[in-house]
Parts: sequence; structure tokens; C-alpha cells
Amino acid sequence: MAKNPQDVSVELEQTTEEPTRKVRTPKFRNRNGKQVEADLVLNNGPQLSTGEKIKRFIKSQNGWMFMAPALILMILFSFYPIITAFINAFKNDLDMNGVYNGWGFDNFVHVFRGDTGMAGANFWQCLVNTLVFTLVSVPLSTLLALLISVALNSIKALQKAYQTILFLPYLTNSLAMGAVFATFFSVIRTGSGTNWGIINSLLGTQIDWMGLGNTWALGAINIPWAKYIVLIIYEVWTGLPFKILILFSALQSINKQYYDAAKVDGASRSTILWKITAPMISPQISYLLVTGIMGGMKQYTAVVGLFGANMGVAYDMGTMVGYIYRYVEGGTPKYGYAYAASLILFFIIMIITFINNKVTKRHTTYK
Amino acid sequence: MKISIQNLTKIFPSRTKGGKEVRAVDDMSIEIPSGKLVGLLGPSGCGKSTTLFMLSGLESPSSGKILFDEQDVTTLAPEKRGIGLVFQNYALYPHMTVEQNIRFPLDNMRIKKEEGNARALDAARLVQIEDLLARKPNELSGGQQQRVAIARALVKMPNVLLLDEPLSNLDARLRLQTREEIKRIQRETGITTVFVTHDQEEAMSICDIMVVMKLGVVQQIGEPQTIYDDPANLFVANFLGTPPINIFKGTIKGGKVYIGFEAIMKTDLPDQDVYVGIRPEGFIYEDNNRVRTNILTLDVDHIEVMGRDKSIVATHESSTKPTVRCIIDSDVALPKDADKLRFTLKPNKVFLFNAETEERIR
Repeated sequence: MAKNPQDVSVELEQTTEEPTRKVRTPKFRNRNGKQVEADLVLNNGPQLSTGEKIKRFIKSQNGWMFMAPALILMILFSFYPIITAFINAFKNDLDMNGVYNGWGFDNFVHVFRGDTGMAGANFWQCLVNTLVFTLVSVPLSTLLALLISVALNSIKALQKAYQTILFLPYLTNSLAMGAVFATFFSVIRTGSGTNWGIINSLLGTQIDWMGLGNTWALGAINIPWAKYIVLIIYEVWTGLPFKILILFSALQSINKQYYDAAKVDGASRSTILWKITAPMISPQISYLLVTGIMGGMKQYTAVVGLFGANMGVAYDMGTMVGYIYRYVEGGTPKYGYAYAASLILFFIIMIITFINNKVTKRHTTYK
Repeated sequence: MKISIQNLTKIFPSRTKGGKEVRAVDDMSIEIPSGKLVGLLGPSGCGKSTTLFMLSGLESPSSGKILFDEQDVTTLAPEKRGIGLVFQNYALYPHMTVEQNIRFPLDNMRIKKEEGNARALDAARLVQIEDLLARKPNELSGGQQQRVAIARALVKMPNVLLLDEPLSNLDARLRLQTREEIKRIQRETGITTVFVTHDQEEAMSICDIMVVMKLGVVQQIGEPQTIYDDPANLFVANFLGTPPINIFKGTIKGGKVYIGFEAIMKTDLPDQDVYVGIRPEGFIYEDNNRVRTNILTLDVDHIEVMGRDKSIVATHESSTKPTVRCIIDSDVALPKDADKLRFTLKPNKVFLFNAETEERIR
């Protein structure tokens, strides 16, 4: 008798040979409650050849095959870069040629202290800028989008036309829009003197909106936060279309009976908006806040579009991504600092999103 | 509060160009006495819900007047009418707890917190949901949601309570229970209540006054039993009663009412074509073959035993419906495997209707 432990049939025979080991026969109760023993034939299936076994194994892994295309792409373009960024952030003073001085936290120290050996682009300045832009513009544009959607939902005539007009900015290139905004706000030197720009003309002011320090413009009023206003207006404006699209479609799915009930119960318009409508579409609102803040933290093109590749005067309007890019494309790129900064950004976004989720969950009702 | 509806009409313009406008409610006039439970009954599309929404102020009438006591409320906004409205699918706010839902009307009236809490609790007690106050609507069963909706309507102490198909979203058992509940709440509060239903059994069982409607026109108003016993026309007779009334094509000739060749009863009406309506409980089995007058013979299809009584499913060539149903006491012995059974009729269960106008001939 072959004593091959991998052979299933042999093992079975062994159990029958050993008298001390009891083979358990399953017991069932018949209809009268009497215990009966079932006639049981142990069947371990047909004997398989190794080739067949491999075939069957592959077949049983079908699920993976279906997921493979997506999985491979994700590994290649998502997981690999993230992991590489994690590793490289700890390679001290990593440069563009892959040369570095051992492992440690030097990159982070340099980023925090600002002694990166490259002019402009202060980390703290960029961080504060990014947080201010995001935390002001995202809630503001969500609120505005809500009000506009409610207004849009309550009109009948030309609803579709307004909807299309409001959605147009979404189709427009953000760099082009930035350039247009810049023209509106810019102060330009002309042959005959100073062109104060459309906005200044409308307001009757002489404010140096873009904060580019145009000293040649006589009588220009320099307000340090004016350029923040320009950026926030731009951010709110470009954020509106998508938010309106989402909120408007959410509004249209609210059952009219809720409004009828509220009317009978004597609710005022503002009560209906804040106590009925807004909570009803709270899932969409929280979705917009979460994705809006994530997107805002990664803002880059808007600032470049408005204030140029230098992000204002020596990166004074810089964002986190702008900061990171500075160390990727700057004269002598310092990849180590860029990696460290992106890791920091990654964690900041993660923390904010986490808090955001906690807060919005409490105020969100899913039907 | 007394409600009087005077010549109320609601016309919906047609959706398509050149299409026909819809008269949802046509020249309706009814007086609803104070403190009564009134049911608007009719098949779907008969204008009963439209009437209710006009009473609530959510729809405005095309013409006509609505008076609460002596006050004309036709153009008054819903919140100023002092009404409580319970919607068909309750319209409870999903993001608010039961308590917040019930308090919502009070908060809008800027009632102080302590008083509001007390009144909300009272309303919750009335509908027996005081231990569910902290729950959200989606954590409640259909019946419980219904109670919350009623509590929310009652909490502002309305003069009129309006219920739109209050039982249609409940299962059969809960429906029986809830309709008793509505009756109890109405009796305890004494609020004039109007409710809409398409279920005649529901309306018959709890209404003080029933209004039967068809295509926007009121057919008959009265106490349920009166309407059942004395229907004004073929539609009303047909709509009330389960199993429904049996309708036969008949004729009056020489002082006798004929169905087919059989004279079923005497009459002093002139000769004419009629519809003869016979309630299922109006048949008496006649086992004596020698009785020759006032007999209706039916072809028996089968007999259903219901316990308390027997239901004979039969056919007759003059019947306007595929089957004729007779309900007789289960004690009555019927011959086995009989093809034909002979019946005499209870005169008060037989109604005659004009063959053209379908109006009752009395």
C-alpha cells in the first residue's frame, strides 16, 4: 500500500484500519423523533491529476482575472507613486539625479524651517494661503450654489436656459478664466497713463487688486488682502456650476408633499429652506463640501491663471501644490523637499477630510 | 366647526394644446355639520382628493366658495385656515425625530418651549406613540408613521382635520385597527374631520356622513346605512357593498318586473326597460317546486362555504356581470350538485333603475 500522505484515498483507508479511532456517523431524527443513522457514502470526488488541479485553481480565481485590468492600472498609477513618495520623502536632500545623503527627516526639517536654498515659496505662507482659500471659498460657493439652485427650482419660465448659462463656466478652461479675471482686475499702463481696469471703473476705486506692486500707477491704493478677494471670487465663481448641477438635481427629487405639509404647518420661506430643503439634500451638500475641500487643498491652476507662474510676487499667493511644483521644476530641482511637502499635504487633507466626515455625518440624513 | 361648500368647481387646464380641460370637481355643494366624521368616497379620479386639497387651501378653486362656520376661507392661505392635514404617504420629515416632527407646526407658531413640549406630548399620548418620541420616521412601522402624522396634524388644535387616503398605505390588519383609532380620536377630540377614501368598506365602517362622488360630481350624501339601503342611482348601488350588488337587465310589463322570462315581483310602474339591482343578501332559497310566482332561477357554478354563510356563485343570461353572487345563511340546506337553484327575493334588497339615465326608480 502506498503511504503517500497527499493521497486522499489512502488517508481514508488508514482511518478504517485504526480500531481506536471512531468514525462519526451523522445522526438525524426521523419524523417520529427517533434517531436514525444516515447511510453515508464518503465521496472525496474523483482523483485529480496535477495539471487538472492547476486548471481548477486558476478557474477558481476567476474573480481576480476580472479585476486584473483595473487592479494593474491602480497599482501602476496609484499605489506605486504613493509608496514611492512615502519612501523618497525620507531620502535626505534627494535631487533630480536620485542622489541623497542617507535616510532621515532632513527634508521635512528644511521644508518647515524654510532653508531650502531656493528663493521664494515659503512653506508656511503657502499652507496658510491654501487653507484660507479653501475654507473660505468652498463653504461660500456651496452656500451660493444652494441659494441659486433653490431660486432656479422655484422658477418655471426659462429654467433650462438659466441652467445652461450657469453651467457654462464648467466647460471653460480654468487658465483662460483666470486670464479673463486677471484682465478685469488688472491695472495696466497705457500710452496716456493708467487703465484702472473694469472692476475699478465700476466701483470708482483705484485699488491695486492683483497686488503686483505697480509702483508706476500713481495713486494706487494698496490693500494687502485685495488679491485674496480676487482669488476667492474666482474660486467661488468656478466652483458654482458643478455644485448647482448637483444640488439642483437633488432638489428636483424632493417630494412636493413635504413642501405642502410645511405650508399647511405655517412654515415661513426661510424655515422651509433651512429646516426642510437643506436637510433633505444634506447628503449632496456634504458630498460637495468634502470633495470641494479636497480639491481646494490641491488648488494650483487658478493661482497660476490669475497671478502667473510665479504665483503673485515671489510666491506670496502660492499654494501647497505650487510649493511642491517649485521644487520639481525650479532651477536645480530638489525632489526630496517636493516629496516631503506632498506627504505633508497628503496628511493634512486626510485629517481635514476625517474631521469633515465626522462633522457632516452628524448633520446628514440618508433616506 | 361647520363647513359649507357652495358650488365648488375645479378645472384643470389641458396639458396638451387644444386638448380638453378637466373638470376635477363640478359644482359641488355640501354642508358638513360640526364635529362629524365625513368620508369622501369614490373611484380614483373622481375629484375627492382635489376637494380635500381645496378645503386645505393647497389648491385654489376655479369657482365656488368654502365657508368655515360663517367665515369665507376660499382665498385664505392654508396656514391661516386652522386645519390639520394628514397626507397619503404621511410626509414626515425624515431628518427630524418624531418629537421634532410633531413640534414643527408649534415652532412655526412661535409657541413657548414648555407649552410646546406639553402639547406635543399630549398629542403623542392621544395617538399612543409617547414612547417613540426620540425615534426617526424611518425607524417606525407604517402604522406608527401614520400616528405621528395624525399627531402632527392635531398638535396645533385645528378646527378641521383633513385626511387624504389615511389607510391606503397600511396592511389589511392594521387598516382595521387604524380606522377604529381614527374614529376614536375623532370622537375624543370632537374635531370636524373630512377624509378621502376609495374603499367603500372603510368609509361605511367609520363615517357619520358619507359623500359618494363620480367624475367630480356628487352622487349622494347621507349616513352610510341610508345610502346602502336607498341608493340614488346605479353607480352608488354598484359602488357600495362587498360582494357588490348583482345587476340584471330587466323589463316592466303589465305591472310585473321581468328578468328574462321570469316575473320576479309586482310593481305599479309603467312599462319600460330597467336595470334590476339585487343585493347578494337579498336572495332566499326556495326549495318548494310548487311555488311558481316571484321566482328567479340561477345557473349554479359553484358554492363557497364561508363559515357564517354560504356564497353561491351563479350565472344568469340577463346579468350584466359575468357572475351572480348570492349570500345565504349557512344553516340553509342546499341540494347537492344542483345545476339550477330557485330563489325568491327580499323586496327591500331589490332596486330598479332607469335603463337610460341609470337613476333610481322608486
